[in-house]
Amino acid sequence: MKPKLLYILSGWFLISSTTALFSQNNYRTHHTVTANLKTLAAKNASNATLVSLTKTIGGKDIWVLTLSNGKPDSNPAMAVVGGVDGSHVLGIELATKFAENVLRNHKDVLENTTFYIFPNMSPDASEQYFSTLKYERQANAKKTDDDRDGETNEDGFEDLNKDGLITLIRIEDPTGDYMPLEEDPRIMVKADSNKGEKGTYKVFSEGIDNDKDGAFNEDGVGGVYFNKNFTYDPPYFKSGAGEHPVSELENRALLDFLYERWNLYSIFTFGPANNLSEPLKYNASNAKKRVVSSILENDAKLNKQLSEKYTKIIKAKDAPTSGTHGGGFFEWSYFHFGRIALSTPGWWAPKFEGDSINKAPKNKDANFLKWAEQENISNAFVAWKSVSHPDFPNKKVEVGGISPFIQKNPPYAMVDSIATKHTAFILEVVKMQPSLLFTNLKEEQLGSGLTRITVDLHNQGMLPTHTEMGTKSRWVRKINITVDLAKGQEIISGKKRQLISNIDEDSTIHLSWLIKGKGKLSVKAGAPQTGTNEITINL
Amino acid sequence: MKSYIYLMALVVSGLMSTTVEAQNVNDFFRAAGSPHNPKVKIAFNKYYTSEGLAAISKQIAEAHPNLVKRQSIGKSTQGRDIWMLAITDYSVGDANRKPGFYVDGNIHSNEIQGGEICTYTAWYLTESFSDVAYIKEMLKDRIFYIVPTINPDARNNYMKEGNTAHSPRSGMIALDDDSDGLFDEDGYDDLDGDGSITMMRRKSPNGNMIVDPLDPRKMIQIGPDDIVTTQRYEYLGSEGLDNDGDGRINEDVPGYYDPNRDWGWKWQPDYVQRGAYKYPFSVPENRAIADFVLSRPNIAGAQSFHNSGGMILRGPGAEEDVATYNRADVRIYDAIGKKGAELLPGYRYMTVYKDLYSVFGGELDWFYGSRGVYTFTNEIFTGFAYYKNKDGDRDQAYKAEKDLLLGDGFTNWNAYNHPTFGAIEIGGFKKNVGRATPGFMLEEEAHRNMVFTFYHAHHMPLLSVDSITEKSLGNGLKEITAIIKNDRLMPTHASQDLKYKIERPDYISISGANVLAGMIVDNDDFNITTEQKNNPSKIKVGNIPGNDIVKVRWIVKGGGKVTIAVDSAKGGLVTKKQN
Repeated sequence: MKPKLLYILSGWFLISSTTALFSQNNYRTHHTVTANLKTLAAKNASNATLVSLTKTIGGKDIWVLTLSNGKPDSNPAMAVVGGVDGSHVLGIELATKFAENVLRNHKDVLENTTFYIFPNMSPDASEQYFSTLKYERQANAKKTDDDRDGETNEDGFEDLNKDGLITLIRIEDPTGDYMPLEEDPRIMVKADSNKGEKGTYKVFSEGIDNDKDGAFNEDGVGGVYFNKNFTYDPPYFKSGAGEHPVSELENRALLDFLYERWNLYSIFTFGPANNLSEPLKYNASNAKKRVVSSILENDAKLNKQLSEKYTKIIKAKDAPTSGTHGGGFFEWSYFHFGRIALSTPGWWAPKFEGDSINKAPKNKDANFLKWAEQENISNAFVAWKSVSHPDFPNKKVEVGGISPFIQKNPPYAMVDSIATKHTAFILEVVKMQPSLLFTNLKEEQLGSGLTRITVDLHNQGMLPTHTEMGTKSRWVRKINITVDLAKGQEIISGKKRQLISNIDEDSTIHLSWLIKGKGKLSVKAGAPQTGTNEITINL
Repeated sequence: MKSYIYLMALVVSGLMSTTVEAQNVNDFFRAAGSPHNPKVKIAFNKYYTSEGLAAISKQIAEAHPNLVKRQSIGKSTQGRDIWMLAITDYSVGDANRKPGFYVDGNIHSNEIQGGEICTYTAWYLTESFSDVAYIKEMLKDRIFYIVPTINPDARNNYMKEGNTAHSPRSGMIALDDDSDGLFDEDGYDDLDGDGSITMMRRKSPNGNMIVDPLDPRKMIQIGPDDIVTTQRYEYLGSEGLDNDGDGRINEDVPGYYDPNRDWGWKWQPDYVQRGAYKYPFSVPENRAIADFVLSRPNIAGAQSFHNSGGMILRGPGAEEDVATYNRADVRIYDAIGKKGAELLPGYRYMTVYKDLYSVFGGELDWFYGSRGVYTFTNEIFTGFAYYKNKDGDRDQAYKAEKDLLLGDGFTNWNAYNHPTFGAIEIGGFKKNVGRATPGFMLEEEAHRNMVFTFYHAHHMPLLSVDSITEKSLGNGLKEITAIIKNDRLMPTHASQDLKYKIERPDYISISGANVLAGMIVDNDDFNITTEQKNNPSKIKVGNIPGNDIVKVRWIVKGGGKVTIAVDSAKGGLVTKKQN
């Protein structure tokens, strides 16, 4: 029965999406996103191409939608990545809506910029949002032995109260170390014996200890987390990390694609990491270590500047602290790929401020519930309800807790305006992209066919041609400056070809050659991520 | 087509040499320690291309179908098969449940001996199986996974194209080394056509070198107080042209990345660890090895062959990773490594990060850090071998080239007209001198390295059910105690393995009785036990230590003689029925 119901549901989504392409009223399934992207690409054939990079182990396509003027390699590029955390369906929506917004309202930007858009990097996991059993899943469909005990997927969740959601169980037990929170007794918190608090409950995730090892739901279905399987500070032997970094098909396919795109100057991530409302901080000693673990000094300044721009446009404050714990994609995009790395969850619940009567709770979860109440979000909390539990035959066991997904993904009605603001921010960044121009050309005749050529190479953009990190990387190409001589010409002084590691925003380098001979000669300067400028000189 | 014809030619030449050597066995006298009348004849005084190694491994597999299964475990960048020989006595036990020993060679393409040492090992195991009890015993209990070359494309490049003794080292994925948007456009050029990239020099009134008046091969640097009365020279680097007209020579050679900076333990990108490619196992040959090793949890020991310098290396590769190698495991490394130094005169047992250099992403660190497999890297060949005393300097190489190689290792300086430099001279040591073992010493070096790997493989765990005892507790209850023994140095789980639960626990199961309770006996004399409440007929044991025992106990009701089964990923399968 269940699979049939699911099929009917997804069929409904499909119909609704094809009849009203850009005005759905709920987050989209992978199936619907796929159908929408195909329609979008077909309708905008001269600016958009849709390619599947690979299929996940769960059989789902990893799509890349390329938006360009038809020649994607010819312009500097930004990648926009969603579905980085599979339970963050908002990220999928924001990446997809960005593509839709550009093609609908901002096609002109494609004259100078290419976008590679990856709407969903965790399609195996994100489908759990639409499943009859909903829980916040990040893992792909790989079979893994999460607790490394020799058995695979032997202890997953059980929906004990049959509400379709995985929340928590609490067991009244004097040996437990949890207690109800004073300002909102629905919330369970750890008792702090240093403050004289005494635990009265045990708390686990909703389910049964199927393998009787004392741990609850520690080895369910799947898998490896997309956002835990990259090379920067990867966790080893941790649940969801994979046997080694970049072990998964989708991670490999994405990196193989990005490493071939020399024109990328920036990676924009919709994910748990947030360096936009709170810029990364420079730490001199960590920046100087062999294994660099701080943003570099110049990049930190740039991050701060972009962060200010973001806050101005998005107008949201009190962002939660960054949610990545090693092996993350955003960290890779900066520390190991050397690009301008920008990441935001896109949304977080605003702080409930309260007043003297209706006080604002200090506890994060309690505060969230107050906000939800104020917004008339009715399903934020699953009320505690007694169930009988085979592991605790003579105890009072209740199921309840904050609903899954709800703290990471806003009610769908809010999504459009969030997407519009983020599109605006990305387009602001793109306006700043590096761009090289030869200027102040001077030719001095020194007599007897000898000419001194001097010219300035100006980065007109408000972003540097290379991040400081990028100047260290072999995967960000240096600026190549070449002189093409005509027959009979000879360089007396100066280089035929030279490499420049970086030109800062709105900065200039001076170039000079001594040339013998007459006729035309050309000078070319550029890198894939800056575009190329060429001048022809008549001697 | 070309490679096919080449392969055919090789097979034919292989057959021909067989007929030449196939003399009457009565004309031979057995030399101790070597296969006497092998089915497959292989000359171990030369090196084989990737196709040559593949053809030989095919012959070995076909000659010994009961001992060898040959399998391609993946494809190289240019589409060559990566051949693996799985060698064991297939008539005994479940082959892939025996403790496994993994051996490979040639990850650095110019470091070629591994190909021949692996081949020698496969050949020796198969050809000595019927004569040598040690080998018979070894193949009864163990399986060897031997991959002679894990960099077949670049092995051929080293042999067939103009190279120095140090190139290519990389694999054959083209990279843009000079950041100009072109890939591999300015490699070496073998200007004098001798097959090696040697040195370029030019007469120069202001040069800082002269020719050694006592040895025309050799250049001497002029010191600040020297009075020079002879022609001065300057060095112009390795043989080559400015192929791309950018004012530099040989700045974008084939490759360049280092396949031994590509492994998934504490991997770091190129700007931290020069030589790293895109991400762990982004080099397809390594990906094939990693996938294979991950599919074989029975692998308990591993060895990779490099050159040169005469070293038996263990990790950690990186100083930052010192904490990974804990004391219990280092004790085991030391025991095997020190034995190696004894078996391999001129070799030293060393630790990579402190005795060589500090590097991330090496193969041996992945095997140990990520799989808990004790692994060594041997750097084959040292100048010690020339005169069997000390490892000398460059002067010793000149001497040996004359005394022992009789002038076969050096291209004498010859005039050449270079498009950029004008009149120059080209000469120097050929690429097969300095790192590659000279032919007349290769078989000995292969044998000694092989017996070192045998010593290592011998000390993988060897489990047995030592005893099963029974005690009546009355009321029809019996207490069954089994002692599981590990006769060798290595535990079933390295300390690194235990720390991270890399491999599942060992299972000790009882059948043939109704089990009421099961426990691990921590101390029999004081009756200290740890009960396993869930599924007590299958006791999970974290580890069976080396040269030690584990005692387990069950309380059972009824039944006759019980059977005890031990199931360990790295220690194999053992069962015993109660007497």
